[in-house]
Amino acid sequence: MKNIPQKRTKGPYLHAYILPSLTIGLLAWIAVFTLSSFSNSEPINSPSNQDMTENAQTAPDDTLTDAADTIAQEDEAQVDSEEFPYDRGDYTSQQTRRGERLFKGLLPFESGQHDCSSCHYTSAQEEINWNPAAWELAEVWAENPEYSLETTMNQPLTARLMEDHEGMTITREEQHLLEAYYTHLLKEGPDTLQAYPIRAFIFWGLGFLMLLAIIDLIFTRVIKFKGVHILILFAGIAVHGQFAMAEAQNLGRTQGYAPDQPIKFSHLIHAGENDIDCNYCHTISSKSLSAGIPSNNTCLNCHNVIQEGTLSGQFEINKIHRAEENGEPIEWIRVHNLPDHSFFSHAQHVNAGQLECTDCHGDVETMHIVKQEEDLSMGWCLTCHRENDVDFLDNPYFEMYEKLHDKIKSGEIDGVTAAELGGEDCMSCHY
Amino acid sequence: MENRYWQSIQETKEGYKNKPEEREASMIEILANESNEKAASRRDFLKWCGISFFSATVISACENPVKKAIPYLHQPETLTPGKAHWYASTFAEGNHFCSVLVKSRDGRPIKIEGNDLSSYTRGGTSAIAQASVLSLYDDGARYKFPQKNSGKVSWEEADREIIKTLQQAEESGQKAILVTPTLLSPSTKALIKELEEQYSALETITWDAISYEAIRQAHAETFNQQIIPDYQFQKAELIVSFQADFLGTWLAPVTFANRYAQTRKVSEEKKEMSRHIQFEAGLSVTGSNADERIPLKPSSQLEVIMELYNEMASLTGRPVISSPGSSYNTKALAKDILSKKGKALVVCGHNSLEVQMLINAINHMAGSYGNTLDATHPLQMGMGEQEKMENFINDLDHGLVDAVLFYKTNPLYNHPQAEKLKTALGKAKLSVAFATAKNETAAACQYILPDNHYLESWSDASPRIGHYSLTQPVMQPVFNTRQFQAGLLAWLDKPADFHQYLKQYWEQNIFPNQNQYAAFKGFWVNTLQAGVLDLKQEAGISLSLNMSKVADAISRLKATTQQAAEIQFSLYENVAMHDGAFANNPWLQELPDPVTKVTWDNFAAVSPVFAEENNINEGDIIAFNGIQVPAIIQPGQAYGSISLAMGYGRSHAGKAADGVGVNVFSLTDKGQFVGKVTGLEVIDRGYEFARTQTHHSMEGRHIVRESTLDKYKEDARAGNEIRDYHLKHMTTLYPEQDFEGHHWVLMVDLNACTGCSTCVIACQAENNTPVIGREEVKRRRIMHWMRIDRYYTGDVENPGVVFQPLMCQHCDNAPCENVCPVAATTHSGEGINQITYNRCVGTKYCMNNCPYKVRRFNWFEYSKNKKFDYHMNSDLGRMVLNPDVTVRERGVVEKCSFCIQRIQEGKLKAKTERRQLKDGDVVPACMGACPSQALVFGDLNDKDSRVSQLIKDPRNYHLLEELHTLPTVGYLTKIRNPKNKG
Repeated sequence: MKNIPQKRTKGPYLHAYILPSLTIGLLAWIAVFTLSSFSNSEPINSPSNQDMTENAQTAPDDTLTDAADTIAQEDEAQVDSEEFPYDRGDYTSQQTRRGERLFKGLLPFESGQHDCSSCHYTSAQEEINWNPAAWELAEVWAENPEYSLETTMNQPLTARLMEDHEGMTITREEQHLLEAYYTHLLKEGPDTLQAYPIRAFIFWGLGFLMLLAIIDLIFTRVIKFKGVHILILFAGIAVHGQFAMAEAQNLGRTQGYAPDQPIKFSHLIHAGENDIDCNYCHTISSKSLSAGIPSNNTCLNCHNVIQEGTLSGQFEINKIHRAEENGEPIEWIRVHNLPDHSFFSHAQHVNAGQLECTDCHGDVETMHIVKQEEDLSMGWCLTCHRENDVDFLDNPYFEMYEKLHDKIKSGEIDGVTAAELGGEDCMSCHY
Repeated sequence: MENRYWQSIQETKEGYKNKPEEREASMIEILANESNEKAASRRDFLKWCGISFFSATVISACENPVKKAIPYLHQPETLTPGKAHWYASTFAEGNHFCSVLVKSRDGRPIKIEGNDLSSYTRGGTSAIAQASVLSLYDDGARYKFPQKNSGKVSWEEADREIIKTLQQAEESGQKAILVTPTLLSPSTKALIKELEEQYSALETITWDAISYEAIRQAHAETFNQQIIPDYQFQKAELIVSFQADFLGTWLAPVTFANRYAQTRKVSEEKKEMSRHIQFEAGLSVTGSNADERIPLKPSSQLEVIMELYNEMASLTGRPVISSPGSSYNTKALAKDILSKKGKALVVCGHNSLEVQMLINAINHMAGSYGNTLDATHPLQMGMGEQEKMENFINDLDHGLVDAVLFYKTNPLYNHPQAEKLKTALGKAKLSVAFATAKNETAAACQYILPDNHYLESWSDASPRIGHYSLTQPVMQPVFNTRQFQAGLLAWLDKPADFHQYLKQYWEQNIFPNQNQYAAFKGFWVNTLQAGVLDLKQEAGISLSLNMSKVADAISRLKATTQQAAEIQFSLYENVAMHDGAFANNPWLQELPDPVTKVTWDNFAAVSPVFAEENNINEGDIIAFNGIQVPAIIQPGQAYGSISLAMGYGRSHAGKAADGVGVNVFSLTDKGQFVGKVTGLEVIDRGYEFARTQTHHSMEGRHIVRESTLDKYKEDARAGNEIRDYHLKHMTTLYPEQDFEGHHWVLMVDLNACTGCSTCVIACQAENNTPVIGREEVKRRRIMHWMRIDRYYTGDVENPGVVFQPLMCQHCDNAPCENVCPVAATTHSGEGINQITYNRCVGTKYCMNNCPYKVRRFNWFEYSKNKKFDYHMNSDLGRMVLNPDVTVRERGVVEKCSFCIQRIQEGKLKAKTERRQLKDGDVVPACMGACPSQALVFGDLNDKDSRVSQLIKDPRNYHLLEELHTLPTVGYLTKIRNPKNKG
């Protein structure tokens, strides 16, 4: 399960605010990039991106723009230099490029059928797409050296697949080109959608405007009325300050984070439609620190029988069987990440605290892709500790809190919060 | 409190910098020197500021890394990720024995605890047992695959060649020798016997670097029984020890410390305690605890023993054999021993047959056998055979031995004839070493067949007749290793599964001796779960003293003492290194010696007067008998003796041990650890030890409060009178803090604490405390959360010694909390002084304001830093880290947290089980490890808890209570039982 692109729905941009000097460099870069993208349809690596960060930037989904589509570039985090195990043959870059165009419909198939990429996406998607992605097809193809590409297309063969792929024939040469593209995909990973959000454009635009204002104010003096400059500068500083503060506060927090998972597992279908209890899979939530990610055999309890999904067909479910055969566990992407210095116990909250899963995780049963609902900030933890009553009267453990019991009896208070029982002590979470 | 305590020898001398300003000056010198080393300028500082600011900006702008959550493919039913599982096992290496519980988190063992169910060790552990978990992850030193002449080889190939050589030896009439240490495992012994039957050329030699052979032989001579009896210290009212460090290293220190502490604890109900007299050359842990300690060089000790024998013989109407007189009043001692007939115990650490025979006779006259000496349950330790080993080396040298197999022994390091053995080894056709980790012997052998660590092995152990303890693996072997016993099975052409063999052995030999279980399966599962088994087995032994042999012994001894030299050396084991087998363990290397507080070194201890006479200063390199070793001036060292610790000076042990200290095994002679010093001279000066001693000095105040038993009987507050004064003056303007729920308290019984330092290692293992190395210790930056302060009192030549375990006192009015500018250290609602690492900015104000000096600062990043290349610098070494405790980063302050993770766990367990928290649900690491149960932790709000009772004890006091810091750690005064002078 390598090279799964990570769609990031939230990314901090603090560097941009702290290092405005990069503004000009980046603007120049965009200009160069836009120009070059007209002359060459191949994605190019951005040198400045390499300089700046190890992992590439991505965009919040709410600010996605169409303009972003034009800026496609490779996610260099995905370019692993590790050895490529699936080399079936040598393909020229010409073949690879032609294969890609074929896949994406830029070159027609001889049979006149529609292109592959209309169903099988080639880069990370904002919305869940139940069809297998291009790189997943490539993986299946690479895992089974005895299969030809055409066989892979129809694996595992189901009624739905037969219907979808009906009448599709590809020539030997086309197969070879597609194989070249697959090999490229396995090596380089999928395309990543790189988008710049409106907020960033506002930020950079304002910065540019402010720069112009300063230049005009000092040197060129085209606009005679100085109030304009001052207005621009004040407004710009205010907006920049607001942005910086908001970003700084969210630093390291990943509210709304909903990464693609190696299997398109839908909580909506499992926990929602089929009403499976959370604890059926997350078995240790009431007795351990973690809630537990179900092991492969838990999945197989049902999927030994249920071989085909309503939305994804057999392809996704087949991944469980493939993991079983390969002896490699599924490497899920962790959605909820707490900093290392915070100790959180599911047992404490689920068992002793008797919280519902949804209290912290949101309505998971309505989510296809699990999303981090809360910001998991310390403030959020403490608010809950301060506001919500614990199971004080029923749990014999609390009997030793005599004074609080007296207060309840005298009617002074009607409940006890976690904070009153030490839930605000630093070392209840940090040790 | 008329005693004046002093921490180092300099303090007693004239001209010692007593004034604070003078000390400050020296501190400034240190700081100045330090800054010169680095020579960092302001410009450098700004440069780094700029770079770190820039990089911080870039890094913070990066996305959080994508983290994966990888479940099991098939989750084992019995395993809960994120939850600790405990397995009963046994640490049995050579003579070291300890029944343990192994804590395993997510499949990896991370902590050793004592097994409470053991009737033998009673939940106690030793420092080496605590540290043994780290050696499992010793990436640098463990052998990772079978090798032949440093090249890889397969197990099958190695087995084939060994079998072939064994068979050929048989045909050609040559010998094949298997050298093992004392084996406590009955099943392994049975297996070796089977092997000897199969290959008649094979002969087994048991050889220990630290030999107890004399005790065994002496019993054979005097009683015709070749045994080591079990020492029942708990029954003794008078304990006389000659050179035996039974609380630290001698025979079974974990058990003995526990038994000893039982006789030393006093309370309102039990106002009696044993009296302990120690004769010894160097100041040992045991000697430090004695009520009367007589520093005597080894030959003078023998004179005392002979005279004591004669005095007792004349008092009991036995023949007296003339002997040289001694400097000690043995008449009174003889009377004392006889007046405590059946309640006295005399032990002796000299591995000399004649001496041990006299000790047997003395114990016999004192009526110890059957009372304080249990000969019906003899100990199984100390099976070493010195003479056989020497014969073997000669045979090997003469080319009579075809094959040599070393199992867990390292004679090339710790045998006095190591050089001869090394050359002789080349004459053998086949040399094989079974070793878990690098050692000198394995390095010289053709084959190295790596053995499993004990946490990866099946085994059993029987430390004494009738007591059994099982070892079970806690994880799959980390490397391509094979248990030694599995190899033996392979050579017997049996399935190489020692687990099955062990079960079979138990089914045939041990199961029939019990009557609790009807079926073997139930018996096995339950015994394995408990880890220990007691059977009603006794060695049918009748003891009648052979007087003529005793008389012979005295005449032989007389001859040796008459020739005795003026200056003698005396070798000893210390609690960290023992015989050096576990030397490549950074935890143990950095464990301060309980008495000298030296880390990362051994040394020659000389007495202050002797040093002055011979012009030896502290840190001088002295040479004698062909060794060169730095000297320490040690109060309490017997005049005319030089004490040296064994176990140092390894050359092929791994990066932590190699080149640390000096190997003194060349001085041993036929298992004797004493001898004549010749050609003593000072050859160099100025060696600097990494000592943890002189910082944290708290002199001049009533830190350790001490009294005598007589005074205690009169008034339980004896020695603690000053407390009334402090209590009277304890007023405050502020409202007292109210601790609703729990109020955690730790009580330390100074009478039970022996200073063995097991708790220090336990704390280090539990709390991920880094190892910082010799140079940093020299800079006084040791990171231990728990330290054992040692104070001397009285005469420099023979001081009284007290140990005081010191951890964060968790003051309810904590001086550290007020001064933190960022509120990183605060008080919890349960009385715990908290430190929040992620808030700490490292001003160290709290450290300056802490009167107990228990806070530690992370001067460097100690993990993943190649400058600190100990276990935290390798992926495997970091496996030992406790996932429940943060690994602190550079620039933050840390200290004892009362094992908050265990408190939280205990509370959570009670909450989820919907019950009240019971006393004993929360046991911090130090308390759990203590063999003498000197530490008690609990909830003060629970009126029935042990701490609630102990805190009311008139002996209880708090450290520096005059400062009104209101510590929650309480100490019970030290009571000694010296002989009434009246």
